[in-house]
Amino acid sequence: MKKAIKGIIFALIFCIMVEAISVALLPWEKVKKYGLYNTSAYEIVAEKDDSVDVIFLGDSLVYSSISPMEIWDGYGYTCYDCAQPAQIMPYAYDYLKVAIDSQHPKIVFIEANILFRDPQKLPLYKKIAYRIVNYIPIFKYHSNWKKYFTHDKNSWLNVNKGYIYITGIKASKKDPFNYMDVNDEVEVSILPENKECFDDMVSMCEENNIKLVLLAVPSQKSWSRSKYNMVKELANEKDIEFIDFNLDNDLEIDWATETKDKGNHLNYWGAKKVSDFLGEYMESTGLLEDHKNDPYYKSWHTAYSIYKEKLK
Amino acid sequence: MSFFNPVFAFAFIPFVVIIYNLFPKKLRAGVLLAISLLFFAFVSKWLIIYLLLSIISVYVTGISISKLEEKKKEALKTVEKEEKKSVKASYKRKEKFVLVLCIIFNVTFLFFFKYLNFFAVNANLLMDYFKIGHRITIVKHVAPIGISFYTLEALSYVLDIYYGKIEADKNILRVALYLAFFPQVLEGPIARYSDTAKSLYEGNKVTFESFNYGYQRILYGFAKKLIIADRLNIIVKSVFEDFNSYNGFTVFIGVAAYMIMLYMEFSGTIDIVIGIGEMFGVKVPENFRQPFFAKNVSDFWTRWHISLGLWFKDYIFYPVSLSKSMKNLTGKAKKKLGNHYGPLVSGSVALLAVWLLNGLWHGAGWHYIFFGLYHFFMILMGNIFDPSVAKVCEKLHIDRHKKGYRIFQSVKMTFWVFIGELFFRAPSLTVAFAMLRRMFDTFSFRVGELFTLGMDRKDYVVLMIGLVGIFIMGIVHEKGINVREEISKKKLVTRWAILYAFILVILIFGAYGQGYVPVDPIYADF
Repeated sequence: MKKAIKGIIFALIFCIMVEAISVALLPWEKVKKYGLYNTSAYEIVAEKDDSVDVIFLGDSLVYSSISPMEIWDGYGYTCYDCAQPAQIMPYAYDYLKVAIDSQHPKIVFIEANILFRDPQKLPLYKKIAYRIVNYIPIFKYHSNWKKYFTHDKNSWLNVNKGYIYITGIKASKKDPFNYMDVNDEVEVSILPENKECFDDMVSMCEENNIKLVLLAVPSQKSWSRSKYNMVKELANEKDIEFIDFNLDNDLEIDWATETKDKGNHLNYWGAKKVSDFLGEYMESTGLLEDHKNDPYYKSWHTAYSIYKEKLK
Repeated sequence: MSFFNPVFAFAFIPFVVIIYNLFPKKLRAGVLLAISLLFFAFVSKWLIIYLLLSIISVYVTGISISKLEEKKKEALKTVEKEEKKSVKASYKRKEKFVLVLCIIFNVTFLFFFKYLNFFAVNANLLMDYFKIGHRITIVKHVAPIGISFYTLEALSYVLDIYYGKIEADKNILRVALYLAFFPQVLEGPIARYSDTAKSLYEGNKVTFESFNYGYQRILYGFAKKLIIADRLNIIVKSVFEDFNSYNGFTVFIGVAAYMIMLYMEFSGTIDIVIGIGEMFGVKVPENFRQPFFAKNVSDFWTRWHISLGLWFKDYIFYPVSLSKSMKNLTGKAKKKLGNHYGPLVSGSVALLAVWLLNGLWHGAGWHYIFFGLYHFFMILMGNIFDPSVAKVCEKLHIDRHKKGYRIFQSVKMTFWVFIGELFFRAPSLTVAFAMLRRMFDTFSFRVGELFTLGMDRKDYVVLMIGLVGIFIMGIVHEKGINVREEISKKKLVTRWAILYAFILVILIFGAYGQGYVPVDPIYADF
């Protein structure tokens, strides 16, 4: 009995210490304002208030295909990949809600592959783990100890703005011209709950005067003609734009060198092509301003120089 | 599954401990065996059948040899004195036949999964060279995890019975548990039956103290892997994947980083295995003993992967060097070369066999064979020149036992071992030689280049502190001090403070998550 009590006390003290360190590894101002969970779960919260122009929602296709720093370098627009691995629509909705609490984005892109993911299929243990990890941020943000050793006030920010830099190559052997038809063998549908969630996001964007765009990044595994048709139909129904890189816009992706995993996700070189195209698109909307000379965005220059250093 | 997966460390181990303790003592060995087999099946799926076949084969062989031995004893009672020799020889032949059958049976699996393709590729090359219009089809297949480890354990069991070191076990569950014990089956150590079988089967309760004691060792393994090995992986990957972009100094650092990473990853894994063993009251043998403090390459291999070295020593080196033909050779060589160099001749033949097999055990590739031959050469050179070095030192009044000379020896040994590991890690012999050339041709102290490998200054600082910490621990262990026992003598507050600090240091400074790529379990592939 005595040993059990000792064990419990040991565990309790340990939990308190872990939690205290977890808080110390996040920007305190943001924790105070948005709470520990939100600051930990949604990286965009760490950004300066009202500093992000464009948000990308979606799964791994987003954080492997769109590099906000490339767009910053080319156009001076501030973008953020609010993406999570295997993101489901309810999580995308939560992310958008939290993001527009502190930001006033002009454009929100949704990588439409998440419309086809069944939220119920995400195992319960993964949902629980997702919650736990965000309540104990030490696991996710442990490397933030480094930020105590720098004088840069903005050092808490994610340098890649949600993008995950990958240079690995695993060439695809699929036919680059007909993968959309080949993938059609798998039956897909937009589940009603995802549609409902999407409708809520459309309303949220309308209320906040945000331009919503549907997006399909190049992926030889995740995209198919049926998915394309369904998203196109949904876009028409809601009168929103749909930018597709699998059928409509040919980025001339070299599937031998610009994919990290045999055609499912792009690597850096593929992501650069997508980002360049999106930057050009954003410019064509006339909704955004170049912030490069605005002192409020000084930290983006710092982030870009670190990003560029990594590219070397 | 990697032992460094949080699910394994923080969920699987506590779960196993709880389930195990829930059962009465009599049933615990069965529970542990069931968990071990399920674990193996989880990792290797249906390939578990090969592990089961190995278990059955060595069990049956052990019993057969034991029965033959009994029959021999019975027969010896009834025969005349002059016939005894031939009866003994006859039974020895039968026992040998059973033993060889078992060895062939087990080695065939190992050969099929690990070496068949290597030999097929080389046979095809030879056939192409001699313009023979025939080709052997290369079939890719996945090997059961840990096959190189459990096969050696299985063979040691039957060989020990054959040599009369142990009795054959009549309980197949005990034999199965000895071979399949879940933490050990993936990466060893290659324990002997006499080391672990008995204590594994005892079903000792996991107490609060044994759990705590074992977990401390596990944490030490985590620290080595997460703080050091996974950080060094950044340097290793950068250098080995694109060595032509770096100068000789950086390439050397990459090679050194690989050696240290290998040590931290493998010995860290062994810490976890030993820690789990301690929880269950099982003394899994140590596999490392401060290898970088060794005075020469030969000494290094008595401190690095000890269980493998001992296996080769007991089952290859001694049988070869003590065989009749080698004894004859030693006799003749002694007459011609004297008492030092004479025995060296037969010893070297045995050593060559050991290192060829050691290289091949690590993998099917010419660079692994070269790795083995390299160490054979280094050890042989040490054996040949040691008397001359001793004489030179004596003439120069250098005390070989003094600290300064020992440090010089360790540094020299470490350099040679680094070079050996370069051949081990490089994808081919050609690449290894190209890296070696680059190391010397373009050597210059451009320290700044180290910061282009993907690690920032803060990471380097953590790495250096980690290495110094492990080095100090090495000195303490070398002096025979058991740190965990020393800690256990402290007051509760101090004990807890040390434990908290240790866990938090791993959690905060571990190189996991975004920006880091964990080292794959290197030895699990062998």
